Amino acid sequence: MKKNITFLFLLLLVLASCSKTPDIDNATMLDGDQIYDPSIANPKKYLISDSIVSPSDIQKNTPVIIAAHGYSATTFEWDELRAYADSAKTFYVSQVLLGGHGLTYADFKKATWEDWQSSIITEYRKLDSLGFKKIFLAGSSTGAPLIINMVKSGFFATQSTQPKGIFLVDPIIVSSDKALTMVGLLGPILGFTTVELSNGEKGHWYVYRPQQTLKQLMALINITRIDLQNGIRLPTGTYMKVYKSKTDATADPISALMIYKGMQTSVNGNIDVEMIDSKLHVFTRLEGRADVTAADSATQKRVFKEMELKMKN
Amino acid sequence: MRKLSILFFVSLMFIPSVWSQSTDSYDLGIGVRIQKTEQLYWENGFGADFTSDFLLNRKIHLKLSYISSRMGSAFNTNAIKQDNYLIGADWRFRSEKSLQIFAGFNTGFFHADMEIPRFNVLPHNSMLFSLETGLAYRFKFPVAMNLSLGYNLINGNGVSSPGTLFPVFYEMSIFYYLDLPEKSKIKNLAPSNAPE
Repeated sequence: MKKNITFLFLLLLVLASCSKTPDIDNATMLDGDQIYDPSIANPKKYLISDSIVSPSDIQKNTPVIIAAHGYSATTFEWDELRAYADSAKTFYVSQVLLGGHGLTYADFKKATWEDWQSSIITEYRKLDSLGFKKIFLAGSSTGAPLIINMVKSGFFATQSTQPKGIFLVDPIIVSSDKALTMVGLLGPILGFTTVELSNGEKGHWYVYRPQQTLKQLMALINITRIDLQNGIRLPTGTYMKVYKSKTDATADPISALMIYKGMQTSVNGNIDVEMIDSKLHVFTRLEGRADVTAADSATQKRVFKEMELKMKN
Repeated sequence: MRKLSILFFVSLMFIPSVWSQSTDSYDLGIGVRIQKTEQLYWENGFGADFTSDFLLNRKIHLKLSYISSRMGSAFNTNAIKQDNYLIGADWRFRSEKSLQIFAGFNTGFFHADMEIPRFNVLPHNSMLFSLETGLAYRFKFPVAMNLSLGYNLINGNGVSSPGTLFPVFYEMSIFYYLDLPEKSKIKNLAPSNAPE
C-alpha cells in the first residue's frame, strides 16, 4: 500500500514537473516574437476608426461592419470580407484584433476573455463617437459569444447608436470537442494543446493553445449558454442572423439552436438562422485552406452578398 | 418517442410483480435521480434500484431511470429539452455495510428535442453508454442515498452524435425501499451490526 502511494506521488511529481513551455519556432509561428498580426503595425488598413478620423456625412451614413475573429485567430479570418467590401464599395469593414491575440504566446496566455472582447468594445465606442450611424457587427466562432455578451451586458444601451445588425458565422456556444469541458481538470496537467495548421494558415493562428486560454474560452461559452438559456433581447431595431455549418468539428452545430432559442428581437420576434451545407468551420474564410470546393466559394459569395444587401436596406 | 417512453414506464411498473414470484428476498427501491452534467444542464427524474440474494448475494444492483432536462435546466427556460432512458448495473463493495462503494455502467437511449424542424438535420438521438462510480449510504429507515461521478463514453462531437451529450456528470439518487408483502423481505437495509 505504501509503495502504491509513493508511486502515485512520484507520478504526480513527474507530471507536474513536465515542461509546460511549447517549442516555438519564431520564424514561422505566430506564437513567436517575430510574426505579429499586420493590424498592429498598420491599424489604418484595418480599423475604420483609424482610417476615417473625421467622417463626412456620406461616410457617416455608409454602413460599417466591425468584424471580430475567433479564438486563437487573427484579423486574417475576415480579410476576404474586407476584399469584398473594397470591391463593392457599399460598406466599410473594420477588422478588430481581439485583445491578447496576434502577439506572442506569452501575451496570448495571460489574456482573459474580457481582454479579447475589449477591442470590439473600443472600436464600437470610437465609431459611435465619430458619428457613424449604421454600425453592424460580425462575429466568427468565438467572436460570436463575445458579441452576444455585449448585448446581454447592456453595453449598447450606453451608446448613442444601436447596432443595425449582427451577423454570426459558425458561432461557438458548445464546443464540438467535448474534452474542453474537462479543461479545469486536464488543463494543468497538459499545459497547452497543439493544432495542425495548413501552409496557408501558418502565421495567422497560434499553434499552441495555453490551458489558461482554453479555460477562458470554456468560461465564456458557458456564461453565454446560461445567458441564452435565460433569454437575451436585442437592442431596438437590431437585426440578427446566424449562419452555421451543418457539420463543424470545432463549433458544435447545436450552438445555432441555442442562439435561436435564446435570442429575441426587441419586439419578441425570432432571429434568422440558416444551416449551411458545409463542413468548414467559419465557412466565410477560404483563404489558406487546402480543400476548398466550388460550392464553398459560391456559399461564401452568396453570404457576403446577402450581408451587403442587408446593410444597404 | 412516445412509444419508447410508455414501454420504459410500463417495464418499471412490472418489476415488483415479476420479482415477487421469486422465493429469494429482494430489495426494490424507487426514488429520484438528480444529475448535473459538467458545463451543461441539470437533468432530473426518477428511477429504481433492485437487488436480491440471487444477484451474488446483493453485490449486484440493477438500475432503471429516466432523467430529463425538462425537469431540470429546461424547465421554463430556453435550454434544450433532452431525455435519457437508462438501465444499468453496479457492483457493490462492502455490500453488507451501510456505507457502500459502487462501480458500474449504464446504457440506454438519449433524445434531444430539436423543436424546430430546420434543426432536425442535426444529430439528436444516440445510444448511451456510461461508467459510473460512487458511494451509497443505507439509512436505518428504508432509504438509501447514492452520490456518484460518471463518464459518458459516447459523447457528442458535432458531427455524428448529439451536441448536448457531454462526457462528465455528477449524480445523486435517493431511493425509498418498498415494504413488499409475503415472500419479499427487506433485508440488510440497516444492518444492526454495521460499524458505520
